[in-house]
Amino acid sequence: MKIDASKPLEYATEENSNKIFGFWVFLGAEIPLFATLFTVYFIMVNRYASGPSGREIFEIGPVLIETFLLLSSSFTIGLAIHAMRHGYKKAMMVFMAITLLMGLGFIGIEIDEFFTYIHEGATLQTSGFLSSLFVLLGTHGAHVSFGFLWGVAIMIQLWRQGINPATANKAFIFSLFWHFLDVVWIFIFSFVYLKGLM
Amino acid sequence: MMKQLFPIRHVIGYIASLILSAAALVVIYMDLSTTVDLVILSITAIIQASLQLFVFMHIGEDADSKKELYINIAYALFVGLVTLFGTLYIFIWGWYA
Repeated sequence: MKIDASKPLEYATEENSNKIFGFWVFLGAEIPLFATLFTVYFIMVNRYASGPSGREIFEIGPVLIETFLLLSSSFTIGLAIHAMRHGYKKAMMVFMAITLLMGLGFIGIEIDEFFTYIHEGATLQTSGFLSSLFVLLGTHGAHVSFGFLWGVAIMIQLWRQGINPATANKAFIFSLFWHFLDVVWIFIFSFVYLKGLM
Repeated sequence: MMKQLFPIRHVIGYIASLILSAAALVVIYMDLSTTVDLVILSITAIIQASLQLFVFMHIGEDADSKKELYINIAYALFVGLVTLFGTLYIFIWGWYA
């Protein structure tokens, strides 16, 4: 494997650069995926039939905590990659652990939110509005859950092997995914919750 | 050490994201028209998304692939926005009626 020392470790081999490029292409496919889910939601948002509307079920408190957790975790994963580039394994792992714990907190609040809706009689089958809401939030939440497991697997490898071209590359790609999830959440926060409550 | 662990660009990006999220809350606590509300939400969301893309994801950092990455994201946004606004145009804004 030819290592180009002028580049950060995660880009250092041709394979590494290609993997990062490939992941950006994947994110380029995730954008239309979420765009279609937002589209369905906007079409369905006023079709709440005999069920509740967004204004009746959305609560701003938990949503603000979710937003804070995801924004902060996006910041800490950025710090983890920064620490990685300086070769600080311990700092990197601490930042990654904080990131994943905040991700877990986010998932917990979202699950609690879903149960609250269901207890209020707002289920997936209640109305077009709720179907599209659950699918949009659920797809994002499934990404965060998958990201949590992925991040844990990378942390185990980092702990065992330290920072090398392979683990650095994986961690960097994971950070791209995590930042992307935050981008999607910004739009959910703004155009689902705030728009629903305004 | 602290300065190396907390690069100023990231710290400013993070604080800016928090401020923009808080700023977006005016739409629920102030009585503005729907159009103004949607403009505020669009502006705060687009700035925050850009912060993630440029500050945290470093989209432009690798000179070899920079151009392709921008084209890739621009194309993805194009497809997404055409899907979104095309559908709204047909079903919500009255073309179908």
